[in-house]
Amino acid sequence: MESWKRQPRLFSLLISPAIIWLTLFFIIPLGFMVGLSLSVQPDATHTVFTGTLESYYGILDRNPDTGDYIYIGVILKSLMIAAIVTFFCLALGYPVALAIAFAPAKWRPILLLLVILPFWTNLLIRTYALMSVFRVNGFFNNILAWVWNHSRFMLLGTYQPFDLLYTNTAVIVGLVYIHLPFMVLPLYTAVEKLDRSYLEASLDLGAGHWRTFFKVMVPLTLPAIMAGGIITFIPAFGALVTPDLLGGVNSQMIGNIIERQFKAANNWPFGAALSLILVYITFILLALQSWMASRRAKLDDIRR
Amino acid sequence: MRSYRSSYSRRSFIKHSLTVAATVPLMSQMAFAAERSVHVLNWDTYIGPQTLEQFTKATGVEVKYDLFADNSELFARLRNGNPGYDVICPSNDFIERMIQSDMLAPIDHSKVPNFANYDPRFQDASFDPGRQFSMTYFWGTIGIGFRNSQFATPPDSWGLLMGPESKVHAGKISWMSDPVRVINHALKLNGHSLNTTDPAEIEKAIQTLLAAKGNVRTLAGDNGQDLLLSTEVDLAMEYNGDMLQVKAEDDDLNYVVPKEGAELWQDCWAIPKGGPDLAAAHEFINYVLDAQVHADIAKEVNYALPNAAAIALMPEDYRTNSIIFPADDVLKSCETPRYLGEDIAKLKSDGMTRVRAG
Amino acid sequence: MKPKAPISPLEYTRRWWMRTLVAVVLVFLYMPIFAMMLFSFNDSKRTVVWEGFSLQPYRDLLQQQTLLDALGNSLVIAFVTTVLATTIGTMLAIALWRFSFRGKAVLEALNGLPIVIPEICMGVAIMIFFNAINWPKNLPWPFSLTSIIIAHTAFCFPFVTLVVRARLAGFDRSLEEAATDLGASTWQVYRDIILPYLKPGLIAGALLAMTLSLDDFVITFFTSSPETLTFPVKIYSQVRMSVKPYINAASTILILVTVAVTVAAAWYYQRAASRNGQK
Repeated sequence: MESWKRQPRLFSLLISPAIIWLTLFFIIPLGFMVGLSLSVQPDATHTVFTGTLESYYGILDRNPDTGDYIYIGVILKSLMIAAIVTFFCLALGYPVALAIAFAPAKWRPILLLLVILPFWTNLLIRTYALMSVFRVNGFFNNILAWVWNHSRFMLLGTYQPFDLLYTNTAVIVGLVYIHLPFMVLPLYTAVEKLDRSYLEASLDLGAGHWRTFFKVMVPLTLPAIMAGGIITFIPAFGALVTPDLLGGVNSQMIGNIIERQFKAANNWPFGAALSLILVYITFILLALQSWMASRRAKLDDIRR
Repeated sequence: MRSYRSSYSRRSFIKHSLTVAATVPLMSQMAFAAERSVHVLNWDTYIGPQTLEQFTKATGVEVKYDLFADNSELFARLRNGNPGYDVICPSNDFIERMIQSDMLAPIDHSKVPNFANYDPRFQDASFDPGRQFSMTYFWGTIGIGFRNSQFATPPDSWGLLMGPESKVHAGKISWMSDPVRVINHALKLNGHSLNTTDPAEIEKAIQTLLAAKGNVRTLAGDNGQDLLLSTEVDLAMEYNGDMLQVKAEDDDLNYVVPKEGAELWQDCWAIPKGGPDLAAAHEFINYVLDAQVHADIAKEVNYALPNAAAIALMPEDYRTNSIIFPADDVLKSCETPRYLGEDIAKLKSDGMTRVRAG
Repeated sequence: MKPKAPISPLEYTRRWWMRTLVAVVLVFLYMPIFAMMLFSFNDSKRTVVWEGFSLQPYRDLLQQQTLLDALGNSLVIAFVTTVLATTIGTMLAIALWRFSFRGKAVLEALNGLPIVIPEICMGVAIMIFFNAINWPKNLPWPFSLTSIIIAHTAFCFPFVTLVVRARLAGFDRSLEEAATDLGASTWQVYRDIILPYLKPGLIAGALLAMTLSLDDFVITFFTSSPETLTFPVKIYSQVRMSVKPYINAASTILILVTVAVTVAAAWYYQRAASRNGQK
């Protein structure tokens, strides 16, 4: 790595398009959104910037029936759902990444492709396809019903279909379904680059597979786990299509509420304020991740 | 070096062929751009299968047809200025809102002679005096769609969907997802007018919904009829025409307007300000209001025509269908929803957020 | 037949429980897609109940001029976005890899933002922005697509930067030093050594950008207008009601096309990488 001053023209050439794009089409729009969150809306179509914090105070609204915070409650619920989704993506994704990384070399690209392909379908179509599989009259239930009715289970009575849709569980399953490929990729890259001799040494020294996994592989791949975790957690947190389609009455997440502010409630300043809260939460999580990463780096240095 | 050169040229070949492949749609689009076109924003499944083609054949104007899913989405798209639509089809309360927000251009009645065919009841409207800005396309009711075989006696009250009696069919009920529609019918259930501006009455409606929401399977955007068809629910809050469309596929399904009354809506054509082609907009509206064209569309969508000349062209079973044309006593109990101001809209939307919380 | 070698401790993939797990996950991932493809042959106006095999949905699809237009728009936008995002992202990746400068950490963090920010925030922000600066509406096609292309590029190129940087991390600078010693100019070094090495990374990044652009719904929803509808936005408006078989047909075709492109690119990548003696 060299200082940019050694090749200033090349450096400016390389870096300027990105900086221009980021500033013009990302930072400035975010700035406008901050401005909108500090505005009021006197009538149906106009907003006026006044610097008021009214929208932010609105986030602290309480539910008159129960005294709970409405919006904060939904934010916390969305955080929890995102955490559960991330956990399951990790639990399913890590073994799959392992399987691909330890497969014979010629199988790896094919397996990777297989895992990534569903990701190429349109999100809405995939969600609707998920619905047609899991609904009461859908594939999953129909196949199970057929098996049930043609086997000895029939003696236990007619098949009762699983009631899988329109619940929080369905939303979680749907979100795992959508984000799984995003988790597998970074994990696979990290596991593939692992120095196998560490694992072999651990196994030779008598540690079982599980211990090797948790004490050797996981710590060595921790950066990838955290990266994959972030790419899964944050989109899951802000999801709106999946809870809308797969969820029941109680399954609204913060993304749905934000969307409602821009449509049914026609309250754009409040919608902007809620969106910004999401951005702030994202920042905090990123800062947390990089703080943890630098702490570990310092500890590694100390250990050395 | 040689291998790099040859792979370089192969890479640029791929790039070139991709560019050519991508310009083909570009060239065909640019060819069309030379002709006149009209940009229409309408509900889904709300036009005849041949209507647009026939319009283009009759007038030479191409139709760019876009869809929207609910009124507030339409409003959100147009709120910051017209992104390029000539003709839109909002419901009556949103027509009012857009008139008050100065978003609609007046319709020149001299350019829409087919409007004279209309039933006198629809030549004027409380939400648009003199029909300066809108012309009704179809009208109808909202009510309960249900599966006959699941009921000893057909349902006749909103209570079965939103009241304490909803327990009987718990888990097999669906509401709409539009906050205003749902809360309006809860108001009717409680015996209030759905156009009330009394916050106490609206609060009571929200409480009713909170008490019953545990029995609801899901809030269907606009596909309650599909949930009925697939037997996932037995009771759905739905539009009458949608129910007729699925009744054709499954005769066990039926529709009724509950005794407490319901919304009587009108979807109307309107011209948003700032559209690209005002003349084309008028041509389109006039064409759709033609008796035969309008009748053909009605055969497809099964909603009630405001167009007397078109009704005359419809078959007997359409004209006497009580689902399409409700009996007088039913009509008396129904109300046309009005635009009640931003505060009430916000109250109802926030109420829905509360209903769905937890 | 060669006798199978005994399973070594690390060959997880050969163990039955691992294979079962992977099979279950793959079934989970693919069952809905196959269901969708199957229902694209459904003989019904709605996809809710199977009513018989028919090619009618595919014929219907050809009638849906607006849907095909939207598909065309999506492809054009994806193509231009991929070119722009790959270029900008790669340039940034090279700069970040090679140079140190003040504010580098800030730029890296900034580059990470479009990746992590919730899509609805970005969509709303971009819509507000284009509105506030009175971006011209009613531009003739294809210039009407520029607002969407700009928005897509903005959130795609950071992904490309990530991928290309990962590839760059493995670059052996001694190659570059040898070339310079032999008299190559900076431009020649980039063209003949660094860029060919980057090719797999460029392809991966370009594919990623193309996917993200083709599939994007939330951000495009807020920036599109009637002339510039993309495929996902168009589907959303039709699919809120119920998925009609011809939409499944369009999606099936889209999947098959992207599979073909990916497989072709992957095959090309394998050949290029193995010919260059790298993995």
